[in-house]
Amino acid sequence: MNVQPDLDFIKDMKSAGGDTLKKCYQCATCSVVCPLSSDGDPFPRKEMIMAQWGLKDKLIGDPNVMLCHQCGDCTAYCPRGAKPGDVLGAIRAYTYKALGWPTGLAKLASSGKNLPILILIPMIIIGIFWKISGSHVPTVEEFARNGYGHFFGHWNFYWLSKNVFFIDIIMLPAAGLAAFAAFKGVTALWQKMSENAGVGDATFRPSAIQFITQFLFPAMVEIVQHNRFKECNANEDRVKGHLPLLLSFVALFIVTAYSAFTQDVLSLLPGINLHGPISMWNPIKILANVGAIALIVGIGILWANRSQKEQEGQATKTFYDWFLIWEIMAVGVTGLLAELLRLVGLPSLGYIVYFLHLVSVMMLFMYMPYTKFAHIVYRTAAMAFEKYRQSAFVKDPLEG
Amino acid sequence: MNDTAGTGAVLVVGGGISGLTAALEAAEVGNDVFIIDKNPYLGGRVAQLNQYFPKLCPPTCGLEINFKRIKENRRVRVHTMTTVKSVSGGPGNYEVQLETAPRYVNSNCTACGDCEAACTVEVDNEFNFGMNKTTAIHLPHEMAFPRRYVLEKDACGADCLEAVKAACKYDAVDPDMQPETRTVNVASIVWSTGWNPYDANKMDNLNFSKSDAIISNMMMERLAAPNGPTQGKIVRPGDSKEPESIAFVQCAGSRDENHLEYCSYICCMASLKHMTYVREQYPDAQIYVFYIDLRSPGKYEHFRDKLMGDEKATFIKGKVADIIAEDDGGVTVVAENAVTGAKIQQKVDMAVLATGMQPALGEQGKVLGVSMDGNGFVVSDADKGMIGAGCAKSAMDVYTTAQSSTAAALKAIQIAK
Repeated sequence: MNVQPDLDFIKDMKSAGGDTLKKCYQCATCSVVCPLSSDGDPFPRKEMIMAQWGLKDKLIGDPNVMLCHQCGDCTAYCPRGAKPGDVLGAIRAYTYKALGWPTGLAKLASSGKNLPILILIPMIIIGIFWKISGSHVPTVEEFARNGYGHFFGHWNFYWLSKNVFFIDIIMLPAAGLAAFAAFKGVTALWQKMSENAGVGDATFRPSAIQFITQFLFPAMVEIVQHNRFKECNANEDRVKGHLPLLLSFVALFIVTAYSAFTQDVLSLLPGINLHGPISMWNPIKILANVGAIALIVGIGILWANRSQKEQEGQATKTFYDWFLIWEIMAVGVTGLLAELLRLVGLPSLGYIVYFLHLVSVMMLFMYMPYTKFAHIVYRTAAMAFEKYRQSAFVKDPLEG
Repeated sequence: MNDTAGTGAVLVVGGGISGLTAALEAAEVGNDVFIIDKNPYLGGRVAQLNQYFPKLCPPTCGLEINFKRIKENRRVRVHTMTTVKSVSGGPGNYEVQLETAPRYVNSNCTACGDCEAACTVEVDNEFNFGMNKTTAIHLPHEMAFPRRYVLEKDACGADCLEAVKAACKYDAVDPDMQPETRTVNVASIVWSTGWNPYDANKMDNLNFSKSDAIISNMMMERLAAPNGPTQGKIVRPGDSKEPESIAFVQCAGSRDENHLEYCSYICCMASLKHMTYVREQYPDAQIYVFYIDLRSPGKYEHFRDKLMGDEKATFIKGKVADIIAEDDGGVTVVAENAVTGAKIQQKVDMAVLATGMQPALGEQGKVLGVSMDGNGFVVSDADKGMIGAGCAKSAMDVYTTAQSSTAAALKAIQIAK
C-alpha cells in the first residue's frame, strides 16, 4: 500500500504554530485539566490524534476545536510539550482557511509572507479613491473646520456628502464581502458539525426565531459575560484584556452605526446638517473616545500577555495570532492619533494617519473571515451548535 | 589496611543493594573497599520494600546474605551517616574527604532496647515515610545493619536525653559526639547513590497533601511490609479504613518534562506487584489501574497477563490528571479513557501514586566532579575512575542494578589494580 502523507496539512499546522502536535503521546492529561472540556465529549486529546492522523474533515466539523478558548491549562500540564492549546489554535486557523471564500483571498490572508500584499491592497484601493476624489489636502483653517470630513473632497450635493459616499463605496463592499464569506463559512461549518454529530436526520428543525432565541442569543450572552474565559486557570489574565476589547468593539459598533445613520439617512431629511466633527461633549463622541481607549488598553493587555506566554515557552509565536493583535492595535492607535492631530491642527500628518486608519479598518473588515478575527463568527456558531446538539431537536429527551 | 593506604582502594558511595554489590565484588577479588551511606544503616531503598522482583522475596532474603559477606570480609570498611565533602586528585589516587554525622550512640550499643523504652519523645518515622511515630532514640528499622541505635538529639530534649542516657547499661549513649571528618585515598569511586521517590507534592493537580487516601507507591510498600507502620495490613492512613476500592495512578511525575522526563522503569511492575498485595488481603476489592502505556519488560509480561486477567481489576488507558478529596475520606480520580473517549470520575477508597525515581545525588554530584546527564543521572567515566552503578546511573530494577554494580566493580578494580 502506498500511503501519501498530506504534506499541505502538516505545513499548515506548522505555519500556524501547531508543529508540536507530533510530540503528543495520548496520555489524556489535557482533556482532564481543560476547564472547558465536557465529560461526555472531552477534548483536546482526541483532536490531537486526529490532527496527527491528518483527519482534516473530522477536525473541521468538530465543535470542540472552536469551543477551545486557548486558556493554556493543557499546555501548562502537558508532559511532552505538545502544546495542545497551540495545536487547536492552528486547527482553527486551518479551518478558517479551508472554509474561506474566495479561496485565493483566504490563502493570501493566512500566511505571514503575504503581509506586504495584505497591507498594500487596501492602501492602493484607498489611495486610488483619494486620488480620483481630487487628492484633497486641507489648509490649517479647513482642517480646523472640517477635520477629516473632506478627506475625499467636497461637493454641493446636499443629500450625501462626497466623503461619506467614498467611504461607503470602499467600506461597504469590503464589509459585504466579509459578511458573505463569513455566512458561507459558518453555514459550511454548521453542516459539517451536523454531519459529524449525526444530526442530519433530525425530525424537527428549529425555526429562525427558535434558533435565535434558544441557541444563538444564549451563546452571545455567554460570550459577552466571558463565562468560559473566566474558567481558564493558566491564562486567567486574558479576560482582563479580552473583555474591555470586546466591549470596546460593541461601543465602536454603536458609534459607527450612529454615524452611518446620521450621515447616510438623517442627512436625507431637509434642514439637517450633521456633517463635520461632532462636539467632544456629545455622548456619542464620549462613547467613541472611551471605546478607543478601552480598545487600546484591551489589546495592549493581550499583547503583553501573549509576549509573556511566548517567553515562558507556553505559547508559540505565530503570524496567525499576531496579525490580529497588530491589526487591532493599528486601528486603535491610528484612530486616536488622527483625532489628536486634528485637535492640535496638523493637517498633513493628520491626513497620513487618517489614511492609515482607513487602511487598518479596511483590513480588519476584509480579512475577518480568514484570520484569527474569524473566531467572532465561528466560535459563536460552535457555541450555538453545542446548545443545539444538547437540545430536544437533536437529543430525544426520553432516551437522554 | 588503614585510612590512608593509597594503595588501590575503592570508595563506594551509597550502601544500597547497588553499593553493597559493587563493594563486595571489589573486595572479594582482593581490593580494599570503603563503603559509605548517609543513612544510619545499609540496605537503602530495598530495605523499605515489602517484596521485590524478580522472585517477590522480602528484602531480608537478599540483604542478609550481603550483610553476612560484609561482616566476614575484612577488606570492607563501612561508614554509615557519612557523606562525601570533597574529591581531589585523579584516577588511581583520589583523596576524598568524608564527613560522618554524629550518631550519638557508640559501638557499645547492643540494641537491647532499654533506651527506647525510657524515651518519652516521639518523632515521625522517616523509614515509614512519616506514616507512624518512633521514639527519638531508635533502631532505624528491624533488620538494620549495623545493628545499632541512633539518636535524634535535637528532637529528644534535655529530659529525654537524661532518661535515655540513664537507661543504657552499656554507656552507649553519647550526646557529646561531634561530626567527624576523615580523608581516604582511593584509586576509583563507585557512585551508587541511588534514588529518592519523586516528591508527590510537586504534581499540584494530584493533591497529594489534601487527602490521607492518596499515598505513594513506596508508602504502599511500607504499608504492606510486616515491619511497617501497620504490621503489614493495608489500610487507609488516617482512619485505618480497609479499602474496598483502590486506584493506581501510573506515571505520577515520570515521562513528564515538567517533572521527570524519563520513564522510571519500575513503576508499572511495582503497581502490578501492589495489586498482588491488595488481592491477598482483600479478595473483593475493586482495583483500577490508570496508565498511559504498561511497561512490563521481558518475562515480566507473564506477570502482567496474570494480573490483567483479574476479574475485579479494570485497566484504563488514560492518565489521572486530577484527584479530588471527598468528605468520606476517599478520593475521586479523574481521567479520560483514551479508548472510549469519555471522561471517568472514579470514586475510590485509596489512590496510589506511582511516583518515579529521582536520582539522589543531585547538584552536589557536579561539585564533586561527577559527570551527570541533564536528568541528574551519573555518566560513568571509567578512565577517570568515576563509575556510576544502579539507580544513580539510570532507573532500573533490583536485578539490573546488581548487574550494573558488578560491571561497575569490574571497572573500578581495573583502576585500582
